[in-house]
Amino acid sequence: MFSNQQIDLNILPSIDVIEFKSVSRQYLNILILNRCAIFFLIIIGLFIAKQMVNTGLFQSLFWYLTSAVGLLAFITIAYTILAFKTRKYAIREQDVIYTEGLLTNTIAAVPISRIQHIEISRSWLARKFKLATLNIFTAGESGIDLNIEGLNLNEAEKINEFLSKKVNGTA
Amino acid sequence: MEQHDFSQSARQSPKGILVIFALNTYKFFARSFVLILALGLSLSKNESFAFLNPTNMTLAIIGVFIMLLAIAILKYLNFKFYLDNDEFHLATGILNKDTTILPINKIQNVYIKQNFIQQLINVVSLTIETAGDDDTEIEIHALDRDTALSLKNQLFSNKQLEQFSVDKKHSAPIVYFRVSGRRLLLEGISKNHIKSFLIIFSFVVGLYNEFEKYLQQFHVTEQLKASVNLQSGSIINILIANIFIVILAILGSMLFSVIQTFISNYNLEVIENADTIEINKGLFNKVSLILTSVRIQNLVVKTNRLKSYLGLHTLSIKQAMINKKQQKNSVIVALEKHQLTHLIRNFYPKYDDRGEIFKPEILYKRVLLLRSVPIGIILNIPAFFIFGNYFWLVNVPIIIWIALFVHFSYKKASFQITEEYITINSGFMDRVKHINEVHKIQSVAIKQSIFQKHRHIASLHIATASQSVSIPYISEVHARSILDFLLYKIESQDRNWM
Repeated sequence: MFSNQQIDLNILPSIDVIEFKSVSRQYLNILILNRCAIFFLIIIGLFIAKQMVNTGLFQSLFWYLTSAVGLLAFITIAYTILAFKTRKYAIREQDVIYTEGLLTNTIAAVPISRIQHIEISRSWLARKFKLATLNIFTAGESGIDLNIEGLNLNEAEKINEFLSKKVNGTA
Repeated sequence: MEQHDFSQSARQSPKGILVIFALNTYKFFARSFVLILALGLSLSKNESFAFLNPTNMTLAIIGVFIMLLAIAILKYLNFKFYLDNDEFHLATGILNKDTTILPINKIQNVYIKQNFIQQLINVVSLTIETAGDDDTEIEIHALDRDTALSLKNQLFSNKQLEQFSVDKKHSAPIVYFRVSGRRLLLEGISKNHIKSFLIIFSFVVGLYNEFEKYLQQFHVTEQLKASVNLQSGSIINILIANIFIVILAILGSMLFSVIQTFISNYNLEVIENADTIEINKGLFNKVSLILTSVRIQNLVVKTNRLKSYLGLHTLSIKQAMINKKQQKNSVIVALEKHQLTHLIRNFYPKYDDRGEIFKPEILYKRVLLLRSVPIGIILNIPAFFIFGNYFWLVNVPIIIWIALFVHFSYKKASFQITEEYITINSGFMDRVKHINEVHKIQSVAIKQSIFQKHRHIASLHIATASQSVSIPYISEVHARSILDFLLYKIESQDRNWM
């Protein structure tokens, strides 16, 4: 039976009342480790350069450079920690919502009926921490693809199964 | 039209060898152009290599041609296709055999094209396109027109007919729109000539770089200088020379725009079939394509003040995952306002302009200003090197430009959301209108920077399979309610996006 009732916009399901779930705390460790590794490499590079390059300018600037990199590392890691608690997700009956970002906050929603395929990817570190990333793809190159990083593997597999069933119409 | 039987594995027309050969030869020379040029240059400087005497050269060239011909013949022999049940099968490859099986209901587009060579030998090429990657399109290079039309019809007739509205009467094809030469001329003249100018300019600069040495040899520059005679000229002479150059550049760009418009839109026709729209156009490359409204992801209407005064509107019809080159094929130019409305209605039956129109918050104006000011400041640097101490004069036009940009960009930015459609207007010089169907949206996102959060403002990004559009700087509450509404609409309807 076809019906076309007027919708009361105030009774629509709203994203204001969603209880978002945070990603695993463990993932913060991975993020910090990754950032540290990058800055560590840069500092090592600087020290090697100190041994190799003999121009006076570089030598006199060396400690400034190193401390600048150190400061940058501190800011980046502080920001990572502060921004971490903004990484949240929610699975509703009909859609997947993911939000992240402190300086620029994004709330992205993908209706389950528009999902093309789902992938679970795990980096080496993520395997050590028993974490996983859930990649949700929509159609079109312009589509907003959702990547929910830092889920517990169990959780990721559960979501994957739930979504896959929904997408394939078996649930 | 006679019914062709495609159930047997068949090759294309033998004329295809010629087409493939021409195409490969062109590709070969286009790719080795630099190499050949280098060879030619070194030969002209008499640095010839010992083995490169005229006989060997001729032999080498003949060898290359024979090889290209052999490849063309082998490609032709190994290219077979047939239609089975609801699948299109294609076998290709000389050494690496490829078999492509394409379910007919996944076909998004069937083009019939005819380039210059194909027009000469009277064959057409047929391109089958799916919504997959750019590479997964199938092109059959040479079919006679009857066979191609028949194949196209069979590919379309078997398509999920139940998706089309059943109550539509099956009417005979009507040529709805045919562009006249006068309107194409107007379209060409009212185009944005800056683009044409840049193309010509870079072409001239490129040519100059290539042939700089020759020009020096023939003393062209000296002759030019002598004829212009800058030293003896008074300021008025220099001024006249400059104005002359500017007028020449404008006229050249205009001519280029007009020629470009004519070549790609010659004989543009829009034909209305029972439930599809057919577009035919092109001078050297004749293109014919069929559009069905289920496959259309969004529409873009472009015009500007001058064009809308002349009654010229451009309608681009966007489909999922189509490369830039093909997207140009589904553009209809020089439409009158009522023709445009008619065509939009044809694709989107329930579309109308009524409904509340919203504008971005006034803060958007300030953001536009903040975005354009750095560009203006950066432009001062080259100005300093060109004009020396008078470089600050360049800020006068820059400030006027920025003021106009902010004013018009804000004035033109607006959006409208109805039960079925989202319309977003934007643009600075052009007036651009994006029309999306709500049920074809793939995902929705709200973005909010920390500065926007402070003022409770956010931007909304809406992605379809063909394009992503955004509604900038609206109130956070509004953005959230739109997101709720769109998600509700998409999820409650169970309509396919394709």
